[in-house]
Amino acid sequence: MPEDPAIEVAGLVKHYHAGDGSVVRAVNGVSFAVHAGEMVGLLGANGAGKTTTLRMLATLLRPTAGTARVAGCDVGHDPVGVRRRLGYVSATTGVPDRLSPREILTSFGLLHGIPSAELPHRVAGLIDELDLAACADRPAGRLSSGQRQRVSLGRALVHDPPALVLDEPTNALDVVGARDLLVLLSRLRAEGHAILLSTHRLHEIETRCDRFVVIHGGAVVASGTRDALVAEWLPGRTGELEDAFFAAIDPPAAVRGAAR
Amino acid sequence: MTPDGQPSSFAAALAIARRDLLEFVRDRRTLVITLLLPMVMYPLLALATALGLRTATHEIEARSAPATVHLGLSGPDAPGLAALVGRTLERTPESDRAGWPAGVACLEVEESAAGRALDEGAIDLWIDAPRGLLADLVSTGSVRLAARVSAKRPASQPLRQQFQAFMRSFARDVARARVARAGLPATLLEPVDVAFTGDEGAGPPPAHDVLAPLAGGVLVLLTVLTLTGAFYPAIDAIAGEKERGTIETLLIAPCRLSDVVLGKFLGVFAITLATLAANVVSIAATAAVTVRSLPAGLSAALPAGPLAVAAAAAVVAFTGMAAVAAATCLAVTTASKSGKEAQNTLTPVILLVSAVAGAVLLPGTRGGPLLAAVPFAGQIAVTKAALGSAAAPPAPAATVLVMLGVSLASAGLVTWLLLQLTAHALADEDVLFRGQDVAGAALHRPAPRSRPNPVQAFLPILAGFAGIWYSQGLAPADLRLAIPLQQAVAVLGPLALLLWWQRVDLRTTFSLRWPGRGAGSAALILGAALLGASLFVIGAAVLLQVRSAGLTDEARRLSARLIELITREPWWLGWSLVAVVPAVCEELLFRGWMLAGLLGRSHLPARVWAAVVVQAAAFALFHLLPERMPQTFVVGLVLGWLVVRTHSLLPAVICHLAHNSTPLAILALAGDVPGLGAAVEQGDTSTLAPLPGWAVAGAVVALAAGVGLVAAATRRGPGRARP
Repeated sequence: MPEDPAIEVAGLVKHYHAGDGSVVRAVNGVSFAVHAGEMVGLLGANGAGKTTTLRMLATLLRPTAGTARVAGCDVGHDPVGVRRRLGYVSATTGVPDRLSPREILTSFGLLHGIPSAELPHRVAGLIDELDLAACADRPAGRLSSGQRQRVSLGRALVHDPPALVLDEPTNALDVVGARDLLVLLSRLRAEGHAILLSTHRLHEIETRCDRFVVIHGGAVVASGTRDALVAEWLPGRTGELEDAFFAAIDPPAAVRGAAR
Repeated sequence: MTPDGQPSSFAAALAIARRDLLEFVRDRRTLVITLLLPMVMYPLLALATALGLRTATHEIEARSAPATVHLGLSGPDAPGLAALVGRTLERTPESDRAGWPAGVACLEVEESAAGRALDEGAIDLWIDAPRGLLADLVSTGSVRLAARVSAKRPASQPLRQQFQAFMRSFARDVARARVARAGLPATLLEPVDVAFTGDEGAGPPPAHDVLAPLAGGVLVLLTVLTLTGAFYPAIDAIAGEKERGTIETLLIAPCRLSDVVLGKFLGVFAITLATLAANVVSIAATAAVTVRSLPAGLSAALPAGPLAVAAAAAVVAFTGMAAVAAATCLAVTTASKSGKEAQNTLTPVILLVSAVAGAVLLPGTRGGPLLAAVPFAGQIAVTKAALGSAAAPPAPAATVLVMLGVSLASAGLVTWLLLQLTAHALADEDVLFRGQDVAGAALHRPAPRSRPNPVQAFLPILAGFAGIWYSQGLAPADLRLAIPLQQAVAVLGPLALLLWWQRVDLRTTFSLRWPGRGAGSAALILGAALLGASLFVIGAAVLLQVRSAGLTDEARRLSARLIELITREPWWLGWSLVAVVPAVCEELLFRGWMLAGLLGRSHLPARVWAAVVVQAAAFALFHLLPERMPQTFVVGLVLGWLVVRTHSLLPAVICHLAHNSTPLAILALAGDVPGLGAAVEQGDTSTLAPLPGWAVAGAVVALAAGVGLVAAATRRGPGRARP
């Protein structure tokens, strides 16, 4: 493995002040790393702190404590540097309805300072890579959700970032759309991108991710390869990633489930 | 482009603006509303105005056109009178028939049938000519003619005036006949003959009378429509992007937040400018067409020079206003999470701005550099100054330039501040990701706390002003009901609502503490009472000395009604209404809620003084009548000082009570002064002797004693430390 991870999170903490004056500890000391050419799944129930962690990585939220680095840039000290080295897509990320995929990719290429001489080639290359050629000049509002999500991914890739962060990218997609997207991500990993994605659909990514990080209550409760997680949380038994996940976030309930 | 492939700030902003514009231009419906609506609206407005004006003019002309007066004459001398009238009709030259009816037709009617003839419209007027009338007309006697009209079909005002003009000629004819019969020269009746020589003066151009108000209306419309041009793109720019989930993609673009905001602003500003341009083009085209259809005199008098200067100044000043409009709409909608929420927030702002712009049109608004600096009003003030009006000639070019400079500088500053605010709201994580409707969150009932915050300190005052407005409209004439109603609606109502909504600690908010102990508290209460009474006497002395002649009608009428109330009603009722109720209610509001909110926990002398002065100013404004404001301001200062000094509301209530009780005491001591109320109402203050010198001197001594007592009591008092 390379020495310097593409994504490195250490002791990351995020506290909110709720409306009634109490403090919500959304993320409470999370640490992990993702290396180039690696795809890591971030697993956790709703409210576990996945989205908050990823938003801190994407410089949308400022950490309360701890560090998060993308290709050596710290989210707190050099957010613009992080944004230049990171592609970010979330389930709620939309695309402008009245622009075509080509226009969207071009506008973000301009924002990233890609020279205007190179930009059309770069955009055309992405459109081919993301299989958007058929709809490249139609308004994005008329595309299918799978196509729209691929446009979002293209938007995150336009500056060729070493690291990709995806927050439940397959949420709005059907089975086919989700598979296409994950195939695409696998290819990007093979090209050397570091990919961190969160999802609820464990079976989709079970065989595609190199490693998994399970967070619960704002803290990492388990991490490792699929086999390592199964071995650690379901000792002496065989099972799926999902069973190991349940065991990791709520050990007694998992035992009850196994006893049935 | 910076060396590491990073776009410059401005390039990033331009990229964002370009993307927004592209999106906006493809939204055909909004585009039509924003750009094409004004092209249609001004011609329609002009057409409607022209039609309305024409109809109104026709009506006026038709009503005042000379008509034939049908004059019914009855009685034995009717034929003779008819003959005389006929003579006047024949002999009067055309030049002396100014104001006459088209003709006078005399009909002889029976006295008994005259009433019916009037009602049926056969005759317009009926004059009875009894026997001897003609003889009196010929001799040097004076006759009285009664021209009766129908009660059912009253003759129109122009007809009466025309008939009067004719009858003046008739009387002059009669006088001439008498003078001739007496052998006197006819010139006896016309000792002076005035003739004008030289060119006829053009007089003030009538165009100004019509144009200035019309131009004002168009300028306000232009302001509001330009703002409407910013409305949709601004909602789309940030709130819309939040709704569509695309704002994140901009926030993680490799540029600073200020560049994102600048890009958003440039996009909205471009569309606002396009709207402004569409409006200006439409106004110019409409005006050009309308001028042709104006009456010849009016269009010839159009002041071409000032019009050109005003148009140039307007375009520049409105460009500045467009920037402020774009920034305002952005700043207001940034915190909204959806387009709908943004509309709800922005709509009241548009209405408020319309009111600000419309305020410039109020008669008596003086255009000056200060007004030019007011956002949304300045550009109208600049244009109006350049255009001039019936009352004021067009301002010199230098003045217009100064106002234009002030207006643009103010627009630049306000825009910059609003963009800072936008960036601030956009960077706020709470606004971006969490929480419900942030604008609505301010209306949520907060957790219990000790006292209101400084913003909330003003809320009951605002609500109170609205309350005064309504209670003035509803108030019964009877002060016995009007005073409690006004105190309830304007003071207690808002206060009660706020208390229910804001769970503040009552003891802290209203300073509900007993001031001092034993002798100290007695000294405080006595001192407060002395202060209140002496302040009233001194205030009354000053008012009588300075303003006795200049009181407004409202002030005189109110004073008269209060005096009536005090002298007519039992003492306890008058005292409760005039002294007790206001003292308690107003102290709770101003020295309780408002002062506590403004003070907060601060001990800083500057903050304490600012709080005391601000609440006193609000207290003075609350009394509405300008004559009373200086006195109420001073009283407010003293009452505020009492609360700050004693940390208790009680001395202030006592002081207020003493202040308002003093006039009752004076009236009681003076005994019954008959007609006092009526004298005051008519402004006849001659019956009111100025206060005797000894009374004023006594009041000054009492004031000093009061201050001394309070100061001494609080120096020793235990309430030194603030709670």
